[in-house]
Amino acid sequence: MQLQGPLRMQTKPNPGFFKRNAPIAGEADAIERARNGDPDAFAQLYALHKRRVYTLCLRMLGNVSEAEDMTQDAFLHLFRKLGSFRGESAFSTWLHRLTVNLVLMHLRKKGLQLVSLEETISPSEDDAPRRDFGSHDQTLTGSVDRVTLERAVALLPPGYRMVFVLHDVEGFEHNEIATMLECSTGNSKSQLHKARLKLRELLRNPQALAPHDGSAQPAAHAVAAGQKEVAR
Amino acid sequence: MKDLISRNLDHMTPEEFEASLPELFEAGGGAISNDPRFATFFAANPNCAALVRDLEAIAEQARSLFEPIHDPSDAVWSNIASRLKDGIHNDGDES
Repeated sequence: MQLQGPLRMQTKPNPGFFKRNAPIAGEADAIERARNGDPDAFAQLYALHKRRVYTLCLRMLGNVSEAEDMTQDAFLHLFRKLGSFRGESAFSTWLHRLTVNLVLMHLRKKGLQLVSLEETISPSEDDAPRRDFGSHDQTLTGSVDRVTLERAVALLPPGYRMVFVLHDVEGFEHNEIATMLECSTGNSKSQLHKARLKLRELLRNPQALAPHDGSAQPAAHAVAAGQKEVAR
Repeated sequence: MKDLISRNLDHMTPEEFEASLPELFEAGGGAISNDPRFATFFAANPNCAALVRDLEAIAEQARSLFEPIHDPSDAVWSNIASRLKDGIHNDGDES
């Protein structure tokens, strides 16, 4: 539904998105030189973007080994496709989109049939947020800290996690996510909302988020260390 | 989603509010807890107000996750460099 009249809210552009994807000093020059085959320039691009690409892969896949493989594939793909970068969007945005598409292709090859992702990414009833809305509710106490949130995100069902990471972390719009995941924008919005509800539920239960080995290891690594794979 | 335009927001049920939340968050740029149009409803439904505040806090903190904290191992670049040296143009993989 389009909200209109008195309920129309100011549609704000994602305020942090372009700032977050601002060009990096020296990047344009490195892109140009890498296009012309300069291996040092490509190494520079890798150094500038490896953490973001790897972190994106790790959050989407929840598995260190697969995330490293996908990071490698993403940069090799980048090397091949660099000539097609037209500068119409920030380089990092373009690279992230390329990476997301590769990860999704990887998941399809693994057996997650994204033809109807709308159905396949939906979690089981057990994984879905509980429908206790309106009952006496315990709110989150204090602010949500980054490390705790990272742990909770790693525990989300894969479909929820993917939409949450793409929208709330990476800054993609619902229509972009719908195109990438081959689902409707309504489904993307619904999945995001359920993801946030599930995160709230997880964050209200700190014991569930405590690292099992007692270390402060980030959750994505903790998950990757053993238990869980996406799209099994 | 139900058409909210013709509704009196003050008399929404919590269930109706929840059903509208995904669209409201999207239309409101993620900030609705301070929207005066919901003030009466939130005053009458503190659980809904708390839910919205929590979801806004989660979305807000999610932005901080954009800054990466994980590094790939050195083997990743070694493999990339090795493939580049071997000439990936010749491997025919354009997937």
